[in-house]
Amino acid sequence: MIGRTALTRRGLLVAAATAPLVVACTTQPPAPPPPDVLEPLAAAARADAALATALQAPDTASARTEHAARLQAEIDRATPRVPGSPVPSTAPSAVLAPPSPTRDALVQSLRTAQKQAGELLPSLPTYRTGLVGSIAAGCASLVEALS
Amino acid sequence: MSGPGGFGNGFGSGFAGRRVGAVTTTAAAPAGSDVDAVQQALAAEHAAVWTYGLVSAFVDNQAPVSEGANDHRARRDATERLLRDKGATPKPPAPAYLPPQPVENANSAVAALIAVESDVCTAWHGVLERTEDADLRKTALDALTVSAVRATRWRKTAGVTPVPITLPGTAVG
Repeated sequence: MIGRTALTRRGLLVAAATAPLVVACTTQPPAPPPPDVLEPLAAAARADAALATALQAPDTASARTEHAARLQAEIDRATPRVPGSPVPSTAPSAVLAPPSPTRDALVQSLRTAQKQAGELLPSLPTYRTGLVGSIAAGCASLVEALS
Repeated sequence: MSGPGGFGNGFGSGFAGRRVGAVTTTAAAPAGSDVDAVQQALAAEHAAVWTYGLVSAFVDNQAPVSEGANDHRARRDATERLLRDKGATPKPPAPAYLPPQPVENANSAVAALIAVESDVCTAWHGVLERTEDADLRKTALDALTVSAVRATRWRKTAGVTPVPITLPGTAVG
């Protein structure tokens, strides 16, 4: 009698302990991490580089390409990729310049990027403020150089 | 940044740090560390005020020189107030500063301005990297941006290429 009761109890305990495991193994793989807050900055930098290239503004194009590369390196460092997960398509070739690019549009876009980076600054951890602040000031320098 | 003769290279010139006849003063800075970075920004602002005064006799177009001088004076005063508010003693200016090359004509005068603005960028970038204080971050970004724009303008005047500074305040330029 005692033996059987103990067995039953053990059986229950095992069932209770393993149930969550079964659930864990059958549910969907964990959702991908939320997009990095630096993503919009990197996308803007790639778009500006494409626009500047179309406008034959090589200094602006190389500066914004550098910004995009620095941002992407920081994003990649902060979010190690899970093996087997799809590689996000962030190839610069995916960025197309608008059909009729103008210098005014480029200046406007650089001003927006400067503002965007500045607004993000208060919420960032200290190890990111140097990069983002420098990019904001770099956009202001690019606007000045184009004027 | 890669100007001729390496001017404007923030880490290379060491302009702000080269005080002539400097007396080492140890301000009673409270522990909590963005204070040292702000003291360095103040030292860079002192050097900028001094340099704008030095070059004024050599630059033809006076308007941007006096504008720069006024801005740096205002920034210096604001930075001293900021340090006092943090309970620190603002470091005094050096009696004189050494530009990276002697200022003896318009070209070397503009080169000195590019170098000192670049040093100001480096110093405020250092503040940005060391503070959690949102207001101080805003101040540092503003100072970094204004000096980056002014350095760009002087690079244009001097014919330094590329004119824009990709990453102001960093070794990349």
